[in-house]
Amino acid sequence: MTDATISPAAARRHSSLLQQDDRTRRRNAAESRFKAYGMVAIGIGLLALVILLTSIIGNGRGAFFQTYIALQINLPKEVLDKNGKGLPEDLAKVTTIGYAKLMTGALEETMAGKGIVIEGLDTKDATEIISKEAPAQLRNYVLANPQLIGTTITYDVLANGRIDGYQKGRVTYESAVLDSNVSPEQLKLADALRKDGLLVSRFNMNFLSFPDASEQRPEAAGLGVAILGSAYMMLVVLLLSLPIGVAASIYLEEFAPQNRWTDLIEVNISNLAAVPSIVFGILGLAIFINFAGLPRSAPIVGGLVLTLMTLPTIIIATRANLKAVPQSIRDAALGVGASKMQSIFHHVLPLAAPGIMTGAIIGLARALGETAPLLLIGMVAFVRDFPDAPPNGLFDPASALPVQVYQWTQRADPAFVERASGAIIVLLVFLLIMNAVAIVVRRRFERRW
Amino acid sequence: MNDMRIVERNVDATDVKISARKVQVYYGTSHAIKDVDVDIKDKTVTAFIGPSGCGKSTFLRCLNRMNDTISTCRVEGDIKIDGEDIYDRRVDPVQLRAKVGMVFQKPNPFPKSIYDNVAYGPRIHGLAQNKADLDVIVEKSLRRAALWNEAKDRLQSPGTGLSGGQQQRLCIARAVATEPEVLLMDEPCSALDPIATAQVEELIDELRSQFSVVIVTHSMQQAARVSQRTAFFHLGHLVEYGETGTIFTTPQDPRTESYITGRIG
Repeated sequence: MTDATISPAAARRHSSLLQQDDRTRRRNAAESRFKAYGMVAIGIGLLALVILLTSIIGNGRGAFFQTYIALQINLPKEVLDKNGKGLPEDLAKVTTIGYAKLMTGALEETMAGKGIVIEGLDTKDATEIISKEAPAQLRNYVLANPQLIGTTITYDVLANGRIDGYQKGRVTYESAVLDSNVSPEQLKLADALRKDGLLVSRFNMNFLSFPDASEQRPEAAGLGVAILGSAYMMLVVLLLSLPIGVAASIYLEEFAPQNRWTDLIEVNISNLAAVPSIVFGILGLAIFINFAGLPRSAPIVGGLVLTLMTLPTIIIATRANLKAVPQSIRDAALGVGASKMQSIFHHVLPLAAPGIMTGAIIGLARALGETAPLLLIGMVAFVRDFPDAPPNGLFDPASALPVQVYQWTQRADPAFVERASGAIIVLLVFLLIMNAVAIVVRRRFERRW
Repeated sequence: MNDMRIVERNVDATDVKISARKVQVYYGTSHAIKDVDVDIKDKTVTAFIGPSGCGKSTFLRCLNRMNDTISTCRVEGDIKIDGEDIYDRRVDPVQLRAKVGMVFQKPNPFPKSIYDNVAYGPRIHGLAQNKADLDVIVEKSLRRAALWNEAKDRLQSPGTGLSGGQQQRLCIARAVATEPEVLLMDEPCSALDPIATAQVEELIDELRSQFSVVIVTHSMQQAARVSQRTAFFHLGHLVEYGETGTIFTTPQDPRTESYITGRIG
């Protein structure tokens, strides 16, 4: 200890604690700067989120409300049931054209009854404010309730997409002048109907239950088939990827010998997790459709492809959670004479389960939002028929939520922009629910040791 | 070292329970245990002492093949329990571990209820025919571990909620519940305060009547207090093994003497 003469140390020893020295000040300044950077970063992130959410909710809110025209529709027995026997096959003979005529009549009657006269608007143009889908809906309604034949019912007729847009502020008189699909006169008619309380906006449950509709009928387009298709795919993904993933992880983590083969497998699993999802789509197309001959557009194929995509995520999450269970618990179980499998299934797995569930749910949520691989296996098809109940329904054509969003954004009618945003909201709500479940599962079942 | 009271005890059993000959243990390429020969007697407390890293825990873990869980670990030589080679190809380590229980350094109760902690071993080994049998086993084990009075009113509360000393006694109860013949204890008191240590030591002395107990300890006082026989390990060698009294009063090897008097270790 010969360095007793070193002066800086000695000088510092005599400085006051009440005064910050330069060094401390600099360090404190660096710390506050760093905190400021962090807050700015979070601020940017939050801002982006707020912008995203406001734009989506602003655009998509309208999809949950739909405009209807309340009409008194006469359902004459001589038109709808010519034989008068009420047989279903007789009733089915009347096509949508027949119902369209009834609607036109009802609209004319209503206009006459209320004294609505719009200059330059003929009957054909006036009728166009009714959706092209409306006669089919009325027909289904009547076929489901044949006792209504011969009476006059008050029926909310689906309004055309442009009238719906006018109600929501998307269509104006100025834009109608330039629009070949709607005329200012039709908007005047809508105004007149609204004044009489016949043009009503209601919450649109049909958005969640109806199948997709053609380009001409955005007002009738719904997410029913897409939601069902997505649900079927999630079912397939859950049933396949969770058991396979967990079994693979347990084997790799607990049983597999450490050698070159397992190292290779590990590296490959990590790589697979980073493979772009569209590659899985190509793989699915080649294996499941071209080789195995499974049907196109079917949820089973989508589910299989998404399973392939989700597996690495689940395996990695599961292994991380198995690794996090302390060795002392395994030792304790082995020490009282449990076999390796008993120690894993009685102690390690229950402790890792909340984390595994969280990983699985997050993997599932990722799969739910996946679009690219589904495009390749034909899930972009226009599907109006609902798939059957599983398991047969898994082989029926269906759509998927993100693919539906993609499809709707491709269409020309601005009403589909609203639909697409609405579909994004539905998708986000599902994702939010899944992530919330993941958090709840983790909080609720996590055990500490 | 004034508190080192060496109690003269009658070593009442002379049968050899475990006999080890020429035991070598390797971790990968490092040679952790070298040529260890030891005979551990039945119904006796045998203490393994020695500086850190001398291999006493490693050797202890050889006795119930817990080293099998370490993939790089390799054991050579003969270890026989009641004359049967435990490293024989036909021996299932699971059966062995039911016979040779173990208590670890850090209390490691399962994150389950106190009852389930103790009942786990008997359940998997099918020692109880019904719930009543199991209740009896749990009570008996907790009594043996001197935990019954503290735990009897909260058998269903989690074992992890107990204090450190109680947790360690719970682990002892769990180990004795499977009726092992040998009880291995790897520094069971290193995480405990002096009062809990005293309780556990008392317990060890009582367990001697039923089991052969092997305890690894860092504390020479503890070895002196609880054991009848002591083995001193140094750098992977078994330096000296004999009656505890002899080891502590008249050690034969200079290394033992140095360690006991605090010059090495």
